[in-house]
Amino acid sequence: MGAQMANRITFGSISARVVLACVVIFAVFPVVWTLLNSFKEVVDIVTPTPKLFFTPTLENFRYVFERPSVRLGLSNSGIIVFSAVALGALFGIPAAYALAHMKSRVGDEIKFFVLSLRFLPPVAVAIPLMSIYLDLGLYDTRLSLTMTYVLLTLSTIIWLSIPAFERVPQNIEEAARLDGYGPYAIFFLVALPVAGPSLFGAIIFSFILVWNEFLIALMLTTSEAKTLPIVASEFTLLGRNVPWGILNASVIVLSIPPLIFLGVLSGFLNRMFKK
Amino acid sequence: MKAKSHINKVFLGPPLFVLAVLALVPTIAAIIISFQNKELGRRGTSFVGFENYINLFSDRRFSNAMKVSLQWEAITVIGTMIVAILVAILLFETTRGRTRAIISTLLIVPVLLPRVTAAFVWKFMFNPLLGVINYPIKELTGAPIEFLSNIQTALISVAVVDIWQWGLFFAVILLKLLETLPKEPFEAARIDKARTWEIYAYVAIPMLAAPLISLTFVKMVESLRSFDLIYVMTRGGPGIVTETLDMYAFNQGFVESGRISYASAMAVLMLLTTIITFTVLFKWVRKWQTA
Repeated sequence: MGAQMANRITFGSISARVVLACVVIFAVFPVVWTLLNSFKEVVDIVTPTPKLFFTPTLENFRYVFERPSVRLGLSNSGIIVFSAVALGALFGIPAAYALAHMKSRVGDEIKFFVLSLRFLPPVAVAIPLMSIYLDLGLYDTRLSLTMTYVLLTLSTIIWLSIPAFERVPQNIEEAARLDGYGPYAIFFLVALPVAGPSLFGAIIFSFILVWNEFLIALMLTTSEAKTLPIVASEFTLLGRNVPWGILNASVIVLSIPPLIFLGVLSGFLNRMFKK
Repeated sequence: MKAKSHINKVFLGPPLFVLAVLALVPTIAAIIISFQNKELGRRGTSFVGFENYINLFSDRRFSNAMKVSLQWEAITVIGTMIVAILVAILLFETTRGRTRAIISTLLIVPVLLPRVTAAFVWKFMFNPLLGVINYPIKELTGAPIEFLSNIQTALISVAVVDIWQWGLFFAVILLKLLETLPKEPFEAARIDKARTWEIYAYVAIPMLAAPLISLTFVKMVESLRSFDLIYVMTRGGPGIVTETLDMYAFNQGFVESGRISYASAMAVLMLLTTIITFTVLFKWVRKWQTA
C-alpha cells in the first residue's frame, strides 16, 4: 500500500515535470528558433527537415543594419520613444505622488479617468488624429507621433506609479515633516528615492509599450517618421521569394530593446505582488 | 495643509490637462468626422447626419467584423485565463526557489516581444512549407495544415499567439499571488485528504477570486488590441474570417477606399461600446470586491 502510494506520487511528479518542461519549451522555443534562423543562410532554412546545426552567418544582420529604412526606423523609434517616455515620466510621476496621497472621491474619479484611457480603442484615436495632423501639416512627423504616444506613456506611468508611492511608509514622510521639510522637499528627498526602483519599473514598462506600438504608428506615418515595428512588418510582408534569414534577423533586432529589460521587469513584478 | 493642496495642484494640474487634451481632441474629432462624408484625397466635405451609421447597420461585412471581434475576445480571454491558472498551479506544485525564479523569468519573455515579432515568429512556424509545426504533421500525414489560410483554423491559430504571450505572463502573476496566500487552509485541506485539484478548486482559487476577476478584466481590455497580430499574420483573411472591427475600420479608412468618415463612424461605435461596457464592468467589479 505504502509502496504503491510512493509509486503513484513519483509517477505523478515525473509526469508533472514532463508537462512543466513542455510549458517551458512552448514559451521559449519560438524565440530560440527565430534566433537560430537569424544566423542561417537561406539554404539552411529552406530544408525539408528543420536544421538544428549549421554554419552561422552574420550576413542577415549586416544586411538589416545596412538598410537605410532600418536606420531611419531605429533613429525614429529611439527619438520618439525616448521623448514620449521622458515626458510621461516628467508629468506622470508627480501626478502619481499626488494621487497616492488623495484619499477622496475626487482622487478615485481621477484615477478611474486615467485608467479609462486604456479603454480607448487605438483605431478610434488614430483615425481622427490622422485627419487632424493632415490638416495641420503634422502628419508623418516625429512630433505628432511623440505627442500621441505621450497619451500612452503618461497614463501608464501614472497608473503604475501610484502603488509605488503608496508603499512608501507614511512614518518616514511624517518624520521628515517634523524635521521641517516642506512638501516639495519630502517628495524630492524622501518619497522619490524610496519609491525609485518601482518607479523605474513603471517607466520601463511604458517604454516597452510604446517601443512595441504598431497600429497608431502605421496610421500616422508613411515615410519620414516610420518607427522600427513598421519597418520590420514591411520586411515580413515581402513576397514569395523571401529572404527568410533576413526576416528573422529583422524581428530579432526589433525585440532586443524590450528583452534587455527582462530582469528589471521581473524584479518589478516581484515587488508589485509581494505582501 | 495649505502647502499640501498647493503641491497637489502643481503636480496634478498639468498632467491632467495634457491627458484631457490628448484624449478629448481625437474623440470629439472622431464624432464630428463620423457625421461627414470625408474621404482621403478628395476635397470638400459636408455633413451627412447619421448616414454613415445607417449604412453600417446594413453592412454585412460590419456585422461579420463584430462577430469576429466577439469571437476573438471570448477565445483569447478564456484561453488566457485557463492557461494562466493551469500553469501557475503546475509551477506552484512542482518548483521552488531558484528553478521557479528562472522559469518565471522565461515565461514573461513572450509578452515583452513586440507583437510584430510574435506574429512573425508564429507565422513562420505555421508556414506550410518551412514551418517547424508543420514538419511533424507532414511526416505523419504527408500533407501540411495551412493553419493561417484555412477557414476553420485561422482565427484559432492567431489566438494561440495571443494566449502564448498573455497566458504565460498571467501564470507568473498568479504564481506570485499563490505565494502570498496563508499556508494554513492548504494544510487543513491536506489533513482532510483533499486531492490536489480539490485544494485548488475549493480553497486556493476562491481565495484569489478578486485578483482573478481583475486579471480577467485587464485581459478583456488588452484583447481589444488584436490589430498588429492579425495584420501581420492574416490581414483579416482568408476572406474576412479574421477581420476584426479595427482591421475593417483600417481597411475602409486607409487601404481600400479611404472612407475616413465611414471608418470614423465605426470607431465611434467601438469607442462607445468599450467605454460603456468597461466602465460598468469596472464599477461592478469594484463594488463586488469591496463588499
